[in-house]
Amino acid sequence: MNSVGKRITFYLIISTILFSVIVPMMYLTTIAFSSAVEISDYPKQLLPDLSHKLKIDWDEDSNYYVISRLNNSYEYEELYYSSRFDRHQNYLTTYLNISKTEEELEDDFIVARETGESVYLKYNKDIFNNFIKFFEVFNGASAALFNSVKAALLTILLSMTLGGSIGYALARTKIKGKDAISLGSLIVRMFPAVSISVPMAILLVKFGMFDTMIGLAIIYSIPNIGLTAWITRSIFLSINRELEEASLVFGATKIQTFRKITFPLVLPAFAASSMYAFITAWNDTAVALLLTNRNQTLALLLYKAIGGTASLHYAASGAIILILPALLFTFILKNYINKMWG
Amino acid sequence: MDKKENNKSIFKSPYMFLVPPLLFYLFFWFFPVLISLIQAFTSIDGGFSLENFRMMFQDDLFAEAFFNTLIFASVSIVLQFILALSLALLINRKFKGSKMFLFIMLIPMAIPPSAVGILWNTGLIQTGWINSFLSITGVQNLMELMGIASGPVIWKQATGLQAVFMIILIDTWTVLPSVMIIILAGLQNFNEEYTEAAKVFGASRSQALRHIVLPIIKPTIITALLLRLISGLQVWLISVMIFGFNTVPFLLERIVFYTDQVRTGVYSYKLSVTYSIFVVVLVAVSAFAFVKLTKTKDWSGANE
Repeated sequence: MNSVGKRITFYLIISTILFSVIVPMMYLTTIAFSSAVEISDYPKQLLPDLSHKLKIDWDEDSNYYVISRLNNSYEYEELYYSSRFDRHQNYLTTYLNISKTEEELEDDFIVARETGESVYLKYNKDIFNNFIKFFEVFNGASAALFNSVKAALLTILLSMTLGGSIGYALARTKIKGKDAISLGSLIVRMFPAVSISVPMAILLVKFGMFDTMIGLAIIYSIPNIGLTAWITRSIFLSINRELEEASLVFGATKIQTFRKITFPLVLPAFAASSMYAFITAWNDTAVALLLTNRNQTLALLLYKAIGGTASLHYAASGAIILILPALLFTFILKNYINKMWG
Repeated sequence: MDKKENNKSIFKSPYMFLVPPLLFYLFFWFFPVLISLIQAFTSIDGGFSLENFRMMFQDDLFAEAFFNTLIFASVSIVLQFILALSLALLINRKFKGSKMFLFIMLIPMAIPPSAVGILWNTGLIQTGWINSFLSITGVQNLMELMGIASGPVIWKQATGLQAVFMIILIDTWTVLPSVMIIILAGLQNFNEEYTEAAKVFGASRSQALRHIVLPIIKPTIITALLLRLISGLQVWLISVMIFGFNTVPFLLERIVFYTDQVRTGVYSYKLSVTYSIFVVVLVAVSAFAFVKLTKTKDWSGANE
C-alpha cells in the first residue's frame, strides 16, 4: 500500500517536470505555425491545427461571399466578405496561411451561390508560410541568418587554431608555467563579455572591425580558446605517442604524421570544441547588440523583434529557426561528454 | 651551444605555440580591460578622479539595480541548487524511461536566450499561452473563485520584487538542466558502496545523503553553482525582453542601457565603463567569497 503511494507520487513528480518543459515548448511551436487569425484566439490551443474549417455563404442582397471560420469555442465566426476572388485569395493567404488559387476558390465558393446554402470546407494550412514570412516581415532576416553562421564559423576558426595550439603545447611540450596558463584562462573566462564589449567597441572602431562578424568572433573566442585548450589538451594526452613515433620511424615527415595519424585521432575533440564555439556565437545577443550597428545576427534580430504583438507568430517561427541548430549541437555535445566521462 | 644555434632554435621552441594566443589576449582582452580601468578612473579632461563612481552611485536606478542583481543571484542559486540536486537524485535512480526523461528535461538549456525571451513573451502577454493554459485547465476559474484573480492576469504589469521573482523562475526553467547535468555527472561517478556501507551501519536514506553523498560530490556542486553565480550576476536579457529597459533594472541592464539606448556621448560611455568595472569587481569578489565560504575541510579527504 505504502509502496504504491510512493510510486504514484514519484510518477506525479516526473510528469509535472515533463509538463513544465513540454507545455511551453508546445505552445511556442503552435504559435510559430499559427496564422494571424489564430494568434488572436483566446484561449490559445496547445497543438497546432493543420487545417482551417471554413463556412462559405452567399449574401444575396449585397452580392458577396462571406467566409466564417470554426474557432476554438466551436462557433463559426464571420471573418471576411467580398465579391472578388482575388481579394478572398489575398485574405486567405495573409490571415489564414491558406494558399489556394483564385480558380480553386471559385470552384468551391460558387456552390454556395448556386444552391443558396452554406458550403463547409476544410482547407489545409501552408505550414511553412510563417517561416517564409519571417524573412519577408523582418528586414534583413536572411542577412542576419547568414551573419550568424559567418560569426560562428569565424569563432570556430579562431578558437580552434589558438586554443588547439595551447592545448598541444600543454600536453606535448615541456614548457614552464602551465599552472599560470590554466589560472589565466580561468580569470579570462570570469570577465563578463558585456564588460569587455564596452571598451572593445573603441578598439574595434580603430581596427576597422566594428560592426563586422570578425569583431564579434574575436569576443566570442575569448572564453572559448581556454575551453578548446582544455579539451584538446586532454585528447592530446590520451593519444598513444608510440603510434606517432612509429610513423616517424617509417619515414613520414612530422607534418605527414600529424595529418595522417594525430589529426584523425583528435578530430572528435576538435568537433566537440567547434560545437561549443558554434553555440557561444550562435546564442549570443548581448555582445552583438553592443558591437554591431547594421550587421545584425539572427539572435539580435529576434531580441529586437519582440516589440509588436501583431507579428509575434513570425517572431516565434524565427525563434524556432534559431533553436534548431542550437538544440542539435547541444545534444550531440551531451553524448560526447557522456563518452568522455564514461 | 653557441649563439647562432640559439637564435635558430627560438622558432622551434615550444613557447612559439603560445605566442599567437598571448598576442590575441594582449590585444583583445588585456587592452580593453586596461582601457576600461583607465576610463573609469579618469575624469573627462583626463586626470585621475572618482567622479565616475560618484555619478554611478547617484544614478537613479543604481541602488535598485544593485539590489535586484544581488536578490536574483542569491535566490536563483539557492532555488536552482535545491531543484537541480533533487532532480539529479531522481534521475540517478534509473527508473523505466529515465533516459527519455533526461532527454526531454535537457531541452531548455539548449534554447538561445533571445528565443527564451520570445517563448516567455508569447506566454506572458495577456492573451498569451500562460493564461490560456490556466484557463483550459480550470486554474483560472479556481483563482477567480478564491479571489486571487479577476479575469486573465496581466503578468507584464508586475514590478519590483514580483518581477524579479518572475525572472528568477524563467531563468530557473532555462538553466536548471545545465546545473542538474553537472551534479548528475558527479553522482554517476559516485561509488554506491559508500551509501550501502552506511545503510548497513543503520543510517537512514536522508542521513546517508547528508553525511556521505553530499560531502563527496561537493566539489562538483561547487563548480556548478559557481558558474551559476557568475552568470546570475550578469542577468539582463530576459528582464529587458519582457519588461523593457528601466522597469526591472539590473547592473548589466544599466550597462546595455547606457551603451545602446542613451547616446549622449562621453557621459553615458563613462557610466557604462564604470558599471562594467563595478560588475567585474562584484563577480570576482562574490566568486572568491563563494569558494571561501563553501570550502570546508571535510570534502577534500573524501575525494579519493
